[in-house]
Amino acid sequence: MTEQIKETLCRVTGDVLEKLAFIFSFPEEGSEDTDYGSSLAASVSFAGPFTGTLVMAVSDDTLPELTGNMLGLDDSESTTAEQQHDALKELINVVCGNLLPVISGRQSIFNVNAPQIITENIASYLQSISEENGQLRAFAAKLSLDGGECDILLFIKGKFPPEDTE
Amino acid sequence: MAINVLIVDDSSVMRAMILKSLRMSGLPLGETHQSANGQEGLETLNRHWVDLVIADINMPVMTGEEMIDRMKEHPEMKDIPIVVISTEGSETRLEQLQRKGAAFIHKPFSPEKIRDTIKTIMKLGGSDDGTN
Ligand SMILES: [Mg+2]
Repeated sequence: MTEQIKETLCRVTGDVLEKLAFIFSFPEEGSEDTDYGSSLAASVSFAGPFTGTLVMAVSDDTLPELTGNMLGLDDSESTTAEQQHDALKELINVVCGNLLPVISGRQSIFNVNAPQIITENIASYLQSISEENGQLRAFAAKLSLDGGECDILLFIKGKFPPEDTE
Repeated sequence: MAINVLIVDDSSVMRAMILKSLRMSGLPLGETHQSANGQEGLETLNRHWVDLVIADINMPVMTGEEMIDRMKEHPEMKDIPIVVISTEGSETRLEQLQRKGAAFIHKPFSPEKIRDTIKTIMKLGGSDDGTN
């Protein structure tokens, strides 16, 4: 189960990065702990057959290129912090929307909240998610990008998988 | 005929991506307007003549679905073609939207998909006979 979800996280995230931001990625094996010091992260929470939060962190070095690609800018044009935040929020939004039906089936209905940029220290944010929720399943995957990396973490609260899922 | 388009999405980056796809599509674009949620979208529709609405579903203040419902109640807005571009993956919700007459494009999308969907919903005819 864990391996399957990890693989799904990699596949869906890689697909969205390629189609939305024209960036190729490949899954990193045996993902070691990330130092989130030089990444920007966003989170999105959702509720449906199961409830949880998705977190996506992208290295600072890659985010400007990724944002420029989404906006269709030339390499010489720079992007603002606001555009970069908006790009990451839309990326995680699309990843989340594509991920949930794969995990839960296409009949399931989820309500997905608006994505948020994580403004506090990312490591302590992740720590606080784990502490707030006793019964929590966590799945993590790492993708390496040209000149950077992308971490994608899925936290699911309560019972998972739900009983009525086939 | 130039098509006036309203793009409604809470993400400014996504609005820019949709606009870029429209410009690449070869469709005869007229004025383009942008709104960040359904409420703003309705206000724009009240002020401007729009031939086509492209809308996200999941937005703060007013969702795209609610905006479509309001448009359907409005005599001057009810016949404007609507294309929904969303991450929505639930078949149940997609069927609901289709019953309301909206075409649907899944995010992430390709520019060709946007072009072809607009041609179909606006009955702009064959794609191979050049200009029309
Ligand atoms: Mg949105």
